[in-house]
Amino acid sequence: MQETVKGSNKPARPKKATRSTIDKPARVGAQATSVLDPVDYAVISQALIAIAREMGTKLIRSSYSNIVREAQDASAALFDAAGNVVAQAELIPMHLGSMSEIFRACVERCPISELRPGDFYINNDPYGGGQHLQDVFIFTPIFLDGRLIAFAGTVAHHLDLGGGNPGMTPDAVDVHAEGIIIPPSRYTYARDWNGGPLERLVAANVRVPSQTIGDFYAQFAANAIGAARMGELCTRYGVETVATAMDELMAYSERRFRAALAEIPDGTWLGEDAVDDDGISDTPLIVKAAVTKTGDQVSIDFTGTVAQVGRNLNCPWASTVSATLAAIKAALTSPDIPFNEGFKRPISVTAPKGTLVNPNYPAPVRARLLAAYRCFNAVLKALSQVVPDKVIAGGNDATHALAISHLGDRGYRVYLEIYGGGFGGGPRRDGCDGVDSPLSNCTNTPVEATDMDFEHFRVIGYGLLPDTGGPGRHRGGLGLFRRFLILKDGVNFATYTDRVKLAPYGLFGGHDGSRTRIEIERDGKILKVKSKDRVDLKKDDILTLYSSGGGGYGSASERDPRLVERDVQQGYVSGGAADRLYRTVKP
Amino acid sequence: MRVGIEVGGTFTDLVAIGPEGIVVTKVPSVPRAPDEGAFNALTASGITIAEIEDLAHGSTVATNAVLERKGFPTAFVTTRGFRDILALQRHGRSRIYDLEYQKPVPVVTRAASFEVGERILADGRVLDPLDEADAKLHLVPALRAGGYEAIAICLLNAYVNPEHEQRLRDLLLQALPTVHVTVSSDITREFREFERASTTTLSAYVQPVIDRYIARFRDRLGTAGFRGRFSVMQSNGGRLPAEAMRANAINALLSGPAAGVMGALRQTGRSGYKNLITLDIGGTSTDVCVVTDGTPQLTQEFVLDGLPIRIPLLDINTIGAGGGSVIWVDDGGMLRVGPHSAGADPGPACYGRGGVLPTLTDAHVVRGSVRAEAFLGGRMTIDGAAAARALEPIAKRFTMSLEAAAASAVALANANIVRAIQLISTERGHDPRDYVLVPYGGAGPLHAAQVAAELGIATIVVPPSAGIISAYGLIASDFVLFESLTGRAPADDAAADVLRRTFATMRARALERAKQNGLGKRVKLTLTAEMRFVGQAFEVPVVFAEREIKRMTAASIKARFAEAHQRVYFFGGEAEKPIEFVSFRLGLTAPLKDLPLLAETETGASAETAIRVYDAKAWHDGRLRSRASLRPRDRIVGTALLEDPTSTLYVPVGWTARRDANDNTILERS
Repeated sequence: MQETVKGSNKPARPKKATRSTIDKPARVGAQATSVLDPVDYAVISQALIAIAREMGTKLIRSSYSNIVREAQDASAALFDAAGNVVAQAELIPMHLGSMSEIFRACVERCPISELRPGDFYINNDPYGGGQHLQDVFIFTPIFLDGRLIAFAGTVAHHLDLGGGNPGMTPDAVDVHAEGIIIPPSRYTYARDWNGGPLERLVAANVRVPSQTIGDFYAQFAANAIGAARMGELCTRYGVETVATAMDELMAYSERRFRAALAEIPDGTWLGEDAVDDDGISDTPLIVKAAVTKTGDQVSIDFTGTVAQVGRNLNCPWASTVSATLAAIKAALTSPDIPFNEGFKRPISVTAPKGTLVNPNYPAPVRARLLAAYRCFNAVLKALSQVVPDKVIAGGNDATHALAISHLGDRGYRVYLEIYGGGFGGGPRRDGCDGVDSPLSNCTNTPVEATDMDFEHFRVIGYGLLPDTGGPGRHRGGLGLFRRFLILKDGVNFATYTDRVKLAPYGLFGGHDGSRTRIEIERDGKILKVKSKDRVDLKKDDILTLYSSGGGGYGSASERDPRLVERDVQQGYVSGGAADRLYRTVKP
Repeated sequence: MRVGIEVGGTFTDLVAIGPEGIVVTKVPSVPRAPDEGAFNALTASGITIAEIEDLAHGSTVATNAVLERKGFPTAFVTTRGFRDILALQRHGRSRIYDLEYQKPVPVVTRAASFEVGERILADGRVLDPLDEADAKLHLVPALRAGGYEAIAICLLNAYVNPEHEQRLRDLLLQALPTVHVTVSSDITREFREFERASTTTLSAYVQPVIDRYIARFRDRLGTAGFRGRFSVMQSNGGRLPAEAMRANAINALLSGPAAGVMGALRQTGRSGYKNLITLDIGGTSTDVCVVTDGTPQLTQEFVLDGLPIRIPLLDINTIGAGGGSVIWVDDGGMLRVGPHSAGADPGPACYGRGGVLPTLTDAHVVRGSVRAEAFLGGRMTIDGAAAARALEPIAKRFTMSLEAAAASAVALANANIVRAIQLISTERGHDPRDYVLVPYGGAGPLHAAQVAAELGIATIVVPPSAGIISAYGLIASDFVLFESLTGRAPADDAAADVLRRTFATMRARALERAKQNGLGKRVKLTLTAEMRFVGQAFEVPVVFAEREIKRMTAASIKARFAEAHQRVYFFGGEAEKPIEFVSFRLGLTAPLKDLPLLAETETGASAETAIRVYDAKAWHDGRLRSRASLRPRDRIVGTALLEDPTSTLYVPVGWTARRDANDNTILERS
């Protein structure tokens, strides 16, 4: 009854497939609910979504590292007994799109039928269905009276999983240099974790085990919460009824999405965008997408995208799928359509093997989100030709990852944060100012928290950057700056950023947004940092990230003069820039 | 005589309790001038203002000022380099797939945000002294030029060391004596600068609003010869003398729902109930709260219109489900109820004011649980045919009978309410089966039995005059104030000493404030320690009663934390890992000397009327009685409707109702 991924990216490394696709044929019977009472259905489906949300909230609140507990770089989902995502906590779009692909890679190693209570699946292998090593996915089977009824799954971005450099390794030549690989596997919690060999193996391979292992425990606990709540739900309504509701919830998303697709004219549209460079040469890495819509289905083909590269910009297949699904979800569906397996059924994604967006082992992948953003942008640009009122201009659309670490007397201190910038302007509104970019959703770490936790740096400035939003009828959102004073010698700084050379694009006559840059002020001189770089910092260095403002949407001459006035008054746009870009000087 | 006046969005309720008995009055609110509605209620009740000894007031003035952004121009001052704290917020989004996402709009604009040179470190040491010269030279003129009525100051790490905030406040007050200045360290002593800045700006923003409102109210009372005590409700479930509230304006936010919880707690407490889940269903929303062992659950994390508030307030969960909630079918074919509402005007279709959308109230009319002739004690006419017409499209869509569609909508609303209750009970580690359900508000008693059944709750306790329990709550509430303190310390072998030392310091401070506010000497103290495993960022509250603090040991403190952590997060029960205290909160309660007693207000005829209610796929014949007519030995077996002038209680099949000695109506599973 359930479809599985077709022609998918097999985890077996030596095998050379020439392209990967996910392609789910239309599911028969995706019609209005027939067997289930509408109230039972509504009640159970809301409960499923609530369970996933509770798992996500509690994972974040009980975790240890700043990247999970403050930045909230973690997600949670509930799966049916076959491993289809039924409900998710809406946290990080990038994680959520690939949950079931990563799950299926585990099933290929150990069939579901062999699972016993107390077992779990774990996977972080980019070449085994995963994304990048730091995102460790854990899936716990849920049993009721000896029968497997569902799975609870969580993913957290782990602060440091070893590799060549704390937090991240910009010059890694392969995935092995990026950290410990946990291939898709089945383990038993009581035996292998909980002080057991797997926990000890992981703890021995990471730099800050107290935080990393604590975060793993928070993941297991969140899964246990999901299991307890599912058990209660099934006890109350019966396993069969809950299973039917899960099927119906997926069918519901599918039905609503297909209805939305049917309203768009058929056709094929092309879009492309590029990552600045691979960190070695200056050549832009172009991502091309062809979006084809036929009836109530849509397919995306990344043929024409550049070949994989020697540094960590490669985007594993699961990440490409995730980014594509997020673009489609955001542009073509109303926000209240739940994201689950049903939503994915009308979509197929294809990319040739050996490209930036479907690399072969052992290409490094740590910064895969940058290429994933270009997949997102290429799809939105293609869609801008058919549904201009559903897309936005290019934004900061990158995660500027800053790892500032130090090895002191008391061991490693690793600080890792992810920063966004401005959203692109949209058909109805200006882009959002100073916010994490669309595929991610990390919150900032409060300055009062970094003051408490780190002695090797201090945050001395954090704010919006006026005049960085691309002018337009709706201007791009403003970029932001974050400024650090380095307090010790021998501080290790590693980063990947983008939009340093290629500015966020404007749409329909809107101007481009501003470019990103990172600067180090040392002895009164400004040192430029490359978009992908590693630098040794000294005491009294001042490090500043300036992120991109979004591109504008529509011509600046069409902007409501009252909005121009407001922008000047509030300091989003300087008076000079407003005169130059918006106001026509009358003789 | 004691009088409580609660101003809600639609109605203003008044309860007066004195030697001559109980007076209950309901008048329409006057949204533009809430005090107008309050004085209308006083006039309508026939009370002589000069005879009131205790007047307690609750209103939505503060909440509405925020929701409608109608406060006075407010400025924000913070540490140099961080002017945009309010604009940047936490850098995340609450709707992850929304390409045109907009952040919640702060109450202070970017143009009104300023910086001052200074920096204090996390341990409280001064890194850069406050640049007073620069503040005088640049900040003061800018603030003066802006014409601000209120200024919020939130400096980095001021939760540890408030010295700079205090000096800056004094400096600004000296230069701008007519402006209200609010400093973060007076409002909340917790880390995380954005949340603290948000709380402080909200407080500053509503300060002049509350100040003027209370002054006006007091003057008007004075003119009428009032010589009693005038107090105002707070969101933490306690009252404060009105004068003291003028300096604690943020506590006035969301005080209405808190009054309801306190009223329910006091009235059912008379019958010995201490573990309650309160259920307040009104016209547009439902408020639920958990009360354990006579103490309502508090939270420090609240969001109002997207803006975080970090003060202790009752942990009330609000959802958009009420009598006016619209019943609809979404484009995926799912039946929905709310969250949007037909409001009071045009209101439900059955109001006959031109509303055509089916609402929850219409569903009750169609399935027979609200009688057309008895709505709001017969003061309003109900058009049953209009209700049926409005529901018809829903019934057709699911090929159901009208009454089945109506019952489905009610069941769905109940499911949403059940979810809201689980969020504050199950998810916080409390089992609803250990509680009784206390419904009130116009529609709470209508839904209570089915909500209780879903949660496995066996007993429902309905207070008398359930529709005006919030107004009663005002005069039944104690006087309460809170002290907070961030004091990160390891909970190691010295934990008990830390606890005792902290308690002593905070106790002295709280008693001093109680004295200033005229709260009397007879007080009850409760210490809450926010604790966590070292390395975590979110704390678990651990509560210690005053009498326990003397005998706590390091081991018993750790064990209590571990148990609390395990209950919420499903791990950590072993407590082998290092634990720390993060902050402390001391609650000071000055209990009322004697509780005003609520009772049913009319005797009502004991005559029964036959009724029919559609439920669980069938019509059920039953009877209608007035709640006031119930005799102590009466046992009413469902199906039944039990009415009082403010609400209707639905007793379904399988439940039995009786009235207890305190006029509470008790429903139990038969």
